[in-house]
Amino acid sequence: MISIKAISKWYGEFHVLKECSTTVSKGEVVVVCGPSGSGKSTLIKCVNGLEAFQQGEILIDGVSVGARGTNLSKLRSRVGMVFQHFELFPHLTVIQNLTIAQCKVLRRGNREATEKGQRLLDVVGLAAHAEKFPAQLSGGQQQRVAIARALAMDPIAMLFDEPTSALDPEMIKEVLDVMVKLAQEGMTMMVVTHEMGFAREVANRVIFMDQGQIVEDRPKADFFKSPDTDRAQQFLSKILSHGVQT
Amino acid sequence: MVSFVAGLDWNIFFQPAFDGSGTYLRFLLIGLAWTILLSVTAWILAFVIGSIVGVLRTFPGRLLPGLGAVYVELFRNVPLLVQLFLWYFVLPEIIPGLGTWFKQALNPLLQQFVSGVLCLGFFTAARVAEQVRSGINSLGRGQRGAGLALGLNLPQVYQLILLPVAYRIIIPPLTSEFLNIIKNSAVASTIGLAELSRQAQQLGEFTAHWYESFIAVTLLYGIINVTVMIVSQFVERVTRLPGYLGGRK
Repeated sequence: MISIKAISKWYGEFHVLKECSTTVSKGEVVVVCGPSGSGKSTLIKCVNGLEAFQQGEILIDGVSVGARGTNLSKLRSRVGMVFQHFELFPHLTVIQNLTIAQCKVLRRGNREATEKGQRLLDVVGLAAHAEKFPAQLSGGQQQRVAIARALAMDPIAMLFDEPTSALDPEMIKEVLDVMVKLAQEGMTMMVVTHEMGFAREVANRVIFMDQGQIVEDRPKADFFKSPDTDRAQQFLSKILSHGVQT
Repeated sequence: MVSFVAGLDWNIFFQPAFDGSGTYLRFLLIGLAWTILLSVTAWILAFVIGSIVGVLRTFPGRLLPGLGAVYVELFRNVPLLVQLFLWYFVLPEIIPGLGTWFKQALNPLLQQFVSGVLCLGFFTAARVAEQVRSGINSLGRGQRGAGLALGLNLPQVYQLILLPVAYRIIIPPLTSEFLNIIKNSAVASTIGLAELSRQAQQLGEFTAHWYESFIAVTLLYGIINVTVMIVSQFVERVTRLPGYLGGRK
């Protein structure tokens, strides 16, 4: 479904991504973790072309992201993305946030888009908040709206860029619950997160990144039992001893 | 102060003007009308060009932001009065076809008005562009990314996502620019356009009632600007988003 082949990226002199390769198959949930500055967010933003890369190739459902002839907008509309800071559109109501791209990109009628939006708001438990503006919701509610907004486009895969990092601890669970449900329903997901509890519960594989490289890319059970590298071991012991809830 | 004002001859405004157009009150009101017409027309031009240039400056790549920057620096760093003389005296001479048409087909009043509108419009556009740019940049890259990630193309992201919020943010500085354009419109008096400050000067020269003339004109400028501020606050109130930027939840 998503195939990342030896991509490299530089910010000027700084080598952010070093020949990263991995694949995410249909229905698979892959968690990407690692210390800050390791390139996790950059990697996931390369997948839908929000960040450019200089070398390598990324294929989504067989379509090359970086190639010149690719209709990037069309490709992006098929891949949902959820951001750390939600990025809901502040001048639109919750339901308008869910319908705008359906209408403008997928050319759905307003009625069809609204019905779809309402259904998804129901799924994320926010059906009663359709007419509110984003700033009237809590962080956890906003992030659930953001997930619903991405799902409204009927994506073939979902990308999550630290979806719970900007949330109060008590709101993290409500967002993770939605994501777990999504994973269990078979959605293809690539998730940058420090929530190891989420990784334990639903991930198929865990990728560990450090200094722009994919250091480990292994099935979840192997990764948690015995990381290959010292770096991953250190990271895990720090993050787990910190008491992340499972 | 009170005795000074009371000692002035306010009846001057009801005496016939030197040019036979009516009373001096009417004479000043004609100036007021020209000031408003000039300012509003120039503002429309400034708003349109300023928005385009401001948007260009936030585009990806180097060429378009570079062109935007050149525009802003050019029009912001040449004195307004010099720009007016360039529009009115110099450009009609050096642009062959259009310049000749400008000098022959338009009557003097229209020449003054068109020059004034272009001068104030292009000058203020540079300042509006900076406001638009800072408004868009204040939204960060996240909003743009969110729009693009949904499959919207770049023009749609600007039209549907970035500009509606950016314009709301910059209503206060845009109001300042509109107030500036009204005050700056007084430069048009130097090329002979009969706007408010020119009329005041004429009134002073022909009647020697300088105090009365300029007190009246100061009040008139004040009335226009207060009106603009009231309208601006109204616009700000009706476009305010609940819970966002100081709006109530």
